[in-house]
Amino acid sequence: MDTDVLKKRLAREKIARRQAESLLETKSRDLYLASEQVSKSAQLIKAQSQQLQAVLDHAMASIFLVDEKDQIVRANRVAELTFEVSKEEMLGTDFFELFSPETREAARGYDAVSELHQELNTSDKSIESVGQRKGGATFPMELAITQLDMDGSTFTVWILKDVSARKEAEERRAKLEQELSQTQKLESLGTLASGIAHEINTPVQYVSDNGHFLKDAFTDLMKVLEAQETLLQAAEAAGVLGDEIAAVKACKDDADIDFLKEEVPTSIAQGLDGVARISKIVTAIKEFSHPGTAEKSLVDLNKAIDTTLTVARNEWKYIAEVETKFADNLPMVPCLPGELNQVILNMVINAAHAIESLNKEDLGKITIETLQRGKMAEIRISDTGCGISDEHKKQIFDPFFTTKGVGKGTGQGLSIAYSSITQKHDGTISVESEVGVGTTFIIHLPVGEAEALKEAV
Amino acid sequence: MKGILFTEFLEMVDQKFSPELTERIIDQVDVPSGCAYTTIGTYDHTELVQLVVQLSKETDTPVTDLVRAYGFYLFERFVRTYPRFFSGIKDAFTFLEGVESIVHAEVRKLYTDSKPPMITATRQGDDKLEVIYESQRCLGDAAHGLILGCVDYFGEKMSVERQDIDDSGSSVRFLLTRAS
Repeated sequence: MDTDVLKKRLAREKIARRQAESLLETKSRDLYLASEQVSKSAQLIKAQSQQLQAVLDHAMASIFLVDEKDQIVRANRVAELTFEVSKEEMLGTDFFELFSPETREAARGYDAVSELHQELNTSDKSIESVGQRKGGATFPMELAITQLDMDGSTFTVWILKDVSARKEAEERRAKLEQELSQTQKLESLGTLASGIAHEINTPVQYVSDNGHFLKDAFTDLMKVLEAQETLLQAAEAAGVLGDEIAAVKACKDDADIDFLKEEVPTSIAQGLDGVARISKIVTAIKEFSHPGTAEKSLVDLNKAIDTTLTVARNEWKYIAEVETKFADNLPMVPCLPGELNQVILNMVINAAHAIESLNKEDLGKITIETLQRGKMAEIRISDTGCGISDEHKKQIFDPFFTTKGVGKGTGQGLSIAYSSITQKHDGTISVESEVGVGTTFIIHLPVGEAEALKEAV
Repeated sequence: MKGILFTEFLEMVDQKFSPELTERIIDQVDVPSGCAYTTIGTYDHTELVQLVVQLSKETDTPVTDLVRAYGFYLFERFVRTYPRFFSGIKDAFTFLEGVESIVHAEVRKLYTDSKPPMITATRQGDDKLEVIYESQRCLGDAAHGLILGCVDYFGEKMSVERQDIDDSGSSVRFLLTRAS
């Protein structure tokens, strides 16, 4: 290569080097500016991301971002708490596994609904479904769905709200309303029953009086018939009044006097017994439905229990035999009579239901015992029913707790009994039970006040 | 067009002909850069066209042949300069299929203002590959040379059929068939 060529090349190389250096400077500056911009953008994105995560985490619902393969891409803190699964466990898993098996397939079909929302640009319509926590427990939830298109991919935002508490509150309110309605009906019935009992008592009284009259009259008539029989035998022996004797005998045969002699007294006795029972029931209803008073009065517990058993007879007579073991010397106890009657009634009905739940053909047994223990009157109501498990024993006095079937219990009976005995009567109520053997409810009521009350009266 | 294509062209003229011829054609063209190229710079592609035309005149060789030879030479230079693009690749078809997604993708990362041609490679069976070159720079001959250089580098026996889709050379179809 000759010198001229080398000189030319050197000159070009110098120019090229300067170009390269200039280019390098420009690129370095561009790179610095780009790096600065990227750094600022990264900080901004990080801050926005933190804000977004904070908003998501403090939302009142579980929020999921789900990709086209139904895999969870993002989940908030509430989602972790609701489904009892950590984010690490959730991400990348099938979103629909969070639904109960029964609702899972239907939930997969909600994509179509979300597409509809996309078209209408709305996601305020919610759908009800059932979620499943990690432990398998299910819960009602409401969900809303929105679709997003990001970087050429379609994502679905699912917002799931656990509505267990709201559903429970709604059920409780419905039960309360039902209970209130039932209470109002019973109150009306109580008022009516008192009046009806009074009205029934009058005819029952004269049916009873007339029954006794008929009983006495029939005894007298029988004496007349016996005298007539003696007369007939004498006339027949004397051979007189043959035609008249024959006519009387024919009448006797037609009337079947022997049968009447035997059956009429029994019939009258049964009638009187029935009337006596009607009278007892009517009196019991009258006493039971006596309007409640706000002040305590001295109550004969034995009589109150007897009255309640009479009123509730229909609840237990086909299920159990009832045995009462009343203490003879039990003092009068200061009580709110209406409330005490209600407590005893609830206990007796519970005992009958516990026995009935065993589905046995034989009758069970309900035993009610009263006794005095120091300054307390004790009422023990025992049954040979299904018994209460240890787990349920802790809850039986809670409002609305019931193990009875739909339509059979509202879960209020024992709750009302507990609050009445402990708060209004300063007493105690406890339970002893063994599953498969039976249950005994024990009520203690203070009798100490009785003397003071008696003096005040 | 990136400066490396200019520096490599002048290097090829030096090697295949002579440094004196290189200087002669540089003296005879009138280009804004004065042919003072740096590999990382960007220059108008017509400067390369002028240099090739001048070389054609000086050597009495058709432009087409010169550009194709340049493409062939360029491939060999690429292998030496950018060995990472060839690492683990055993055959021409595999390399050509990755030109757009790997090689040109890397070029765009380094030079955001660059406009490499569009290379679309489609298998037509186990032994056939269709490669379509598209560029406003109309360097179908250079693409032809590059493909031939590629086949030579991998030492494969195959035919390369060329079909110009338009007359300008901006769109050319190549069908590569492996010899059985």
